[in-house]
Amino acid sequence: MYLQFAWRNIWRNTRRTTVILVAVIIGIWSMILLGALMRGIAEGMIKNGISTLTGHLQIHHKGYRSDPAIEHSITDPQVVEHALNKVLPSGALWASRVRVNAVASNARHSSGVTMVGIEPSSEANVSFIGAAVYQGRYLTQQDQNGILVGEALLDKFETKIGRKLVLMSQDTKGEIASRAFRILGVFRAEMEATEKQFVFVTRKASQIMLQLDTGISEVSVMLPGKPDNPNAISELKAALPQDQFEVHSWRELLPFQTAYLRILDGFIWIWYLVVFVAMGFGIVNTTLMAVFERIREFGLLKALGMKPWWILREVLTESFLLLVTGMIIGNILAFLSIYILSRIGIDLSAFAAGAEYAGMSRIIYPAIEVKDIIMANGVVMLLGLLVSAYPATKAARFIPVKALAHT
Amino acid sequence: MRMVECIKVNKTYQQGQVNVRALKDVSLSIVTGEFVAIAGPSGSGKTTLLNLIGGLDSVDSGTIVVDGHSFDQMSQSQLADLRLNKVGFVFQAYNLIPVLSAAENVEFVMLLQGLPAKERRQRVKAILDDVGLEGKYDRRPAELSGGQQQRVAVARAIVSNPSIVLADEPTANLDSKTGKGLLQIMKKMNEEKKITFIFSTHDKMVMDYARRLILIRDGRLADDRVKSN
Amino acid sequence: MSIDVKMAWRNIWRNPRRTILTICAIAFSSLLLVFMLSFQFGSYETMINTSVKIQSGHLQVQAEDYQDKKTIRLVVPNPAAVGKILEKIPHVQAYTFRGQAFSLVSSKDRTYGAVVTGIDPIREIQVSRLKKLIRQGSFLAESDSDQALVGKLLARNLRLELGDELTLLGQGRDGSIAATVVTVKGIYSSGIDEFDRSAIQIPLKTFQNVYTMDDAVHEVVIIGKSLSDIAEIKHSIELNLSTLDPQKPLKTLDWEELMPGLRQGIEMDLVSGMIFYFLLILVVAFSILNTFLMAIFERTREFGVLMAIGTAPARLTKVLLIESMTMTMIGIFAGILMGSMITLYFQTHGIDFSGASELLSQFGISGRMHPKLSVLSAVSGPLAVFMITFFAALYPALKVRRMRPVEAMRAV
Ligand SMILES: Nc1ncnc2c1ncn2[C@@H]1O[C@H](COP(=O)(O)OP(=O)(O)O)[C@@H](O)[C@H]1O
Ligand SMILES: [Mg+2]
Repeated sequence: MYLQFAWRNIWRNTRRTTVILVAVIIGIWSMILLGALMRGIAEGMIKNGISTLTGHLQIHHKGYRSDPAIEHSITDPQVVEHALNKVLPSGALWASRVRVNAVASNARHSSGVTMVGIEPSSEANVSFIGAAVYQGRYLTQQDQNGILVGEALLDKFETKIGRKLVLMSQDTKGEIASRAFRILGVFRAEMEATEKQFVFVTRKASQIMLQLDTGISEVSVMLPGKPDNPNAISELKAALPQDQFEVHSWRELLPFQTAYLRILDGFIWIWYLVVFVAMGFGIVNTTLMAVFERIREFGLLKALGMKPWWILREVLTESFLLLVTGMIIGNILAFLSIYILSRIGIDLSAFAAGAEYAGMSRIIYPAIEVKDIIMANGVVMLLGLLVSAYPATKAARFIPVKALAHT
Repeated sequence: MRMVECIKVNKTYQQGQVNVRALKDVSLSIVTGEFVAIAGPSGSGKTTLLNLIGGLDSVDSGTIVVDGHSFDQMSQSQLADLRLNKVGFVFQAYNLIPVLSAAENVEFVMLLQGLPAKERRQRVKAILDDVGLEGKYDRRPAELSGGQQQRVAVARAIVSNPSIVLADEPTANLDSKTGKGLLQIMKKMNEEKKITFIFSTHDKMVMDYARRLILIRDGRLADDRVKSN
Repeated sequence: MSIDVKMAWRNIWRNPRRTILTICAIAFSSLLLVFMLSFQFGSYETMINTSVKIQSGHLQVQAEDYQDKKTIRLVVPNPAAVGKILEKIPHVQAYTFRGQAFSLVSSKDRTYGAVVTGIDPIREIQVSRLKKLIRQGSFLAESDSDQALVGKLLARNLRLELGDELTLLGQGRDGSIAATVVTVKGIYSSGIDEFDRSAIQIPLKTFQNVYTMDDAVHEVVIIGKSLSDIAEIKHSIELNLSTLDPQKPLKTLDWEELMPGLRQGIEMDLVSGMIFYFLLILVVAFSILNTFLMAIFERTREFGVLMAIGTAPARLTKVLLIESMTMTMIGIFAGILMGSMITLYFQTHGIDFSGASELLSQFGISGRMHPKLSVLSAVSGPLAVFMITFFAALYPALKVRRMRPVEAMRAV
């Protein structure tokens, strides 16, 4: 009954209510949609970062992070393997690899690369490379001389599958070791830089070449469920000898993405506030108009003995209903657009180099974060009611006689 | 000389689902210099008739000729021109432009007519003095009483030397003394400037001022008589 | 003052509260756009300048295909001739020559791959900021031959200190083995990790000897007097280059071609900015549309009277547009004024972004950012506000044309 009264009052001036409703709807819609796109960009970046050999967490020999050289290898992977088996929840996957800087060269070209020695089957569960080979084939345990290279590197080196590629790197004795590999497969990655940077050989081949014996550079772990799992990290740290190993989460391993995440929250907040201010002026103005048009009516109600706070409540209820209507429609529209965009994605291929420069994926999918949705609607509702308080108190203060005399 | 000629004028309005016949076969003719009252109860069709004569609205059937111009073949903009140059209006209320002063309200019509500034100023002053508003040139409508506002409206209606002034219940919102004052001014203008006046009213006192009284009831001409005082 | 303007102006102030709120909304969006665009332009300029002044220069003359292949064989065989051409072009501020070869570099106990760049110590100073970036030791001198500058991250990876020896091993232009030993004279930090991790600079003369280049170089790096001169410089270079050896065609590339990622990154940022701004202005437009609509609905009777006494509808449209556009202009000017003041304040004081320095250093921006006010950044945003507001005002103003005096006067 009471809400009905307020609802009818809103629609006394259809055109005016529609106009301000459109402002609120566009506002909410753009808040949620653009928020989701920004989140989507961040998620793409992080997903890409995690799958590009980072994983959810990594274990290294102490000192490797600040000086990733061969002498900081894990010489006894059994210890790590044992700890992982003991500590990690079931469903966790991991891969151990050799990872060193190397120089790749063929007859015409040479350039710096990162040589990654992998266990083909376990690596496929953990990083992008398992599904990235689009020409030729993936490595198997037996491929002692096989190598996988990125498409961009293949082009740059003017070579093709079946041709030789020589890798040079420093071995554990400090000597330059070199070994010839044959290109078995070509992979594609989200970023051209990834295609140019990484070449993959079997772990055994790299260990032989670098005289590492069974040594490895790192273990990369994918956890079941959410990427963040502080428990797993602390338990791993406890299970491994502190003076020999270091454990890092993906947040520490991907400082660029982490920094982006950190400013993203602030950025989304600012965007919400800015949009709100833009429509806040409209809300105040429209509510003021509606209130002043009804000066006589409010005066009459007061003359009939209505208490001021009732009028205050009435005006606030009308704003509330207006905001709720705008929010419902705005949210529906936003979810619809997000749904459509999450199916087709926003293709940035036209800006491929730019996207890569900014560290973004080539295709962005919006990502909904419950926190953002609550925040957007909360900002609009709370601040919307707050700014409506001004016209509402004005209406509550109308003096009956004066108001009735008003024409 | 015939100033206004209405022949079998009909006007029907759509009010939701029902049709309201506001005027039914109204025929009348008014000659130059007359001072005519159209009387009738509320809703009888007075406003409709005045609006039609002023070219503000169009007839459904019948013919209206004002000052020799038949409305039949006239476009909207020709009608606007005719209103500007030949017809003056005074309405019941909310007559003036609130953001313009008394003088500016009167001057506005001459501005539309494109008269030079010097002539405009002289005529504004003369006409406002004529209607008894000396010294109130720069007041805004909100700063004038109802009677003073209507006098400004009369001044605005006659300043452009129209052939005819149409006044729709000009005294309805005024007390009887002020109303009388306004009628006296209108009559004076009618006598001095030979402008034809047609005004509507449902007030007995006002009817007494008219030299000719046309009565309408339910959209039909009920009576038409010239008084001999 | 004409009666139309007078009427419009007085109408605006009939409801001062409403007018002020409307002007505030317009001023707010203009202010925001001035600041945001200045901020974006400022960071682009920093990004461009950092990259241009450290790596690419404004323009480069290279052998055709060198940009894609970076092969040592693709050279500019006669740099002196190119230099002669450049001397004659008025907008060229400075130029230098560089040679580049990927090589294995080894310190006492480490080996990495790196790009060895031969630079002309005298000319380089006028073209790049390398000298200012030296954090330890000093820049190369004209007389130096076997000295080198090393990026900070590479130095760390190689465990190098000033004065340490460094062995370079690569392939010469003729396919022979190129090897030499240099000592570290300076260590620099540009803030761009990629560069600091993979570059070594040695004197160009030494480079040409070691890599059997003779007089050839790989890049002629050019700095123009300003960013806006680049197209013109490029054009004049291209005209003159065609007079050189047609067998070995040379190509002129501007910074956008040299760093396509940077240019596209900027474009992408601009486009996404536009989307944000457009939506914002749209919200503002709908917020103030009600004010413009009320301006006619409240005054319907008044318009009826005006039309009854012979005012043409076009004139009413004009008065209404003057009203709404006056409000808009006041808002826009207030917005530009305040936006410019805020921008100028931060232009001198900078905005602290140290929390995001990992992110920004990738783009060559330090922890403080400086917006840059320009005519473009001050005017283009408010202009968009003006246009969209104009359309919002147009709808009610044109609605008057369909009013009929009788109906208008019947309205309350
Ligand atoms: N624009 C209109 N739309 C619908 N009905 C109208 C309109 N104008 C007048 N009427 C109707 O026509 C009749 C005559 O009205 P009107 O001429 O205003 O009478 P009066 O001026 O004598 O009071 C009334 O019944 C009125 O309701
Ligand atoms: Mg009437």
